Amino acid sequence: MAEVFRIEAPYREPCVLERLTFGDGEGPVVACVAGLHGTELTGVHALNIVARTLGMLRVKGTVHLLPIVNSFGVDQGTKRWPFDDRDINRAFPGDPEGSPVQRIAHALLDATRADVCVDIHSGSRVQRELPQVRVPLSGPELAYARAMQLPVVWRRAGDRLEATGLVGAWREAGRAALHAIGGRAGDLDVDHGRILANGMLRLLSHVGSLAEGLVDPGDVLADTTRQGVGYHYSMCGGFWVPEVRVGETVGPGHLLGAVVEVVGGRRLEEVRATREGIVITMRRYPVVHARELLVRVAERL
Amino acid sequence: MSARPDVLHSIGMPSGDSVDIVRKTFEGSEGPRVAIVAGIRGDTPEGVRVAHTIAGVLGTHHESLLGRVDVYPCVNPLAAHRGIRHWPFFDQDLNRRFPGRPDGHAPDVVAWKLVQDLEGAEMIIELRGAHPAFSETPQAHVRSTAESAAELARHANVNLVWMRDPGLAAPSTFAAQFESTLTLEGGTGNRLTPGVGQALAEGALNVLNVLGVLPDDALPFHWAAVTRPTTVTDAHVHRVRAGRAGLFLPGKAPWDPVEADEVLGEVIDPATGDRLEEVRSPCAARIAAMRDQPVVFPGTLVARIVEGADG
Repeated sequence: MAEVFRIEAPYREPCVLERLTFGDGEGPVVACVAGLHGTELTGVHALNIVARTLGMLRVKGTVHLLPIVNSFGVDQGTKRWPFDDRDINRAFPGDPEGSPVQRIAHALLDATRADVCVDIHSGSRVQRELPQVRVPLSGPELAYARAMQLPVVWRRAGDRLEATGLVGAWREAGRAALHAIGGRAGDLDVDHGRILANGMLRLLSHVGSLAEGLVDPGDVLADTTRQGVGYHYSMCGGFWVPEVRVGETVGPGHLLGAVVEVVGGRRLEEVRATREGIVITMRRYPVVHARELLVRVAERL
Repeated sequence: MSARPDVLHSIGMPSGDSVDIVRKTFEGSEGPRVAIVAGIRGDTPEGVRVAHTIAGVLGTHHESLLGRVDVYPCVNPLAAHRGIRHWPFFDQDLNRRFPGRPDGHAPDVVAWKLVQDLEGAEMIIELRGAHPAFSETPQAHVRSTAESAAELARHANVNLVWMRDPGLAAPSTFAAQFESTLTLEGGTGNRLTPGVGQALAEGALNVLNVLGVLPDDALPFHWAAVTRPTTVTDAHVHRVRAGRAGLFLPGKAPWDPVEADEVLGEVIDPATGDRLEEVRSPCAARIAAMRDQPVVFPGTLVARIVEGADG
């Protein structure tokens, strides 16, 4: 374990960014980051599984793992850096002379100089995501994403504000960058963590850092674009009662859940699938406002 | 014609009630249309107060207005209700959701409806407050390329007009949606600061006067009393940061003059009280913003100073 960054803190010990490095140094360089948001813990678990696995194997090239970036946020259960409420993932490319989050961002970008980079997040605190990897519509990242064999490969145009995020900064720096997601913020989804870890190990086999066949093939359920995903939103505010889970297969007309009155439970809205597919996103927090995302259904591969 | 309170958007709450976002329109005879927008973030009560002060004057003089003024006193009422920066529940910074979308969640819909509603306005004044960790001198921000907005800002009764280059996040901010946006802010974050609200309200009213919307005799002060500001660009603005972690104790106040190498404040060890650092000004300047939330890390911004401001 190597310390790649340290910043002094008032009232407590410094905040330290630790990096685990594996490999013989001869070959591809891969970096994987989790815990950029302090409440997104499934990725932390996934990288710890990867670390323990790599510790028992012969690794070619170099693999950098940074399981927790926002350690103060993890300690305090906050998504953002808890002082001044700043989002580290909006501070890239960072600045070594700038604010604390800019310094962390700069150090992280520097500590992840690699051919292939992966940033693992969770769904928001209100929704659970089937393990998935989000990549541009085309380009070198797509082959890496598919090599992970996660349940979902989602080819998407760039997100707004991407230039200030880690994935965008990696791409600006000419590195292949993948954005992986699984589980829900504020929760540890052990199954999703294992799936994400296995995806990382397959990626490492794909680039030649690990032998082939160490991990069983993944169960890829969807490989799609925006057009292949059905979005279901609440039409009114109320109490959301889901009827399906992420990973379930549904067909047209399948009841996905209902919005009911918070007091009394009268059914206000039934939400039904409009296509055959796999549930990749499910609202878990039951109180909803109008026009909130409830369910995403992706066409099956 | 009298002021019309209109509901820009009604947010239906899950528990069954609703929260309205209100616009007050003051319209006289023909003339330019100006919009005054406050409360995009919920921790800026100064802007909300200023909007209501302006609306009070416009309501008294609406018959003599030469044009139309739309006042949106609080765009993010749910956040203001709790005194927090972000839209609660969604934890979204509304000032990163523009231009919004008609089919999104509530923050996106509000952003979209506001932008649509402002189409055709010749001038937009955004009223903000300081960041909650800072106290600021009354100041105006305009886009670095917006010369006409900068000229108007010089009549806004502020100490400072800052012509800013857009940052990476700028496209999703409210101010970036309109070339002519003039942003006024000052005071202490999440607080009302004696004198500052009145200064900003008088500045906005004076801008309305310069635009020809509000006649001279409706101004509740003499135009000659308006502060003559210093105009600066990004090159004149320096960010001074703490070098150590601890408690920052400010030694200066907003708009104080400082000499090069003069002490702006000190950082002390919160456990022992020992002085860890004297934070010094890199140049002769005036204080545009001073941190008064004391907890700092190495790199935390403690002051924003303006070089070449003659006051």
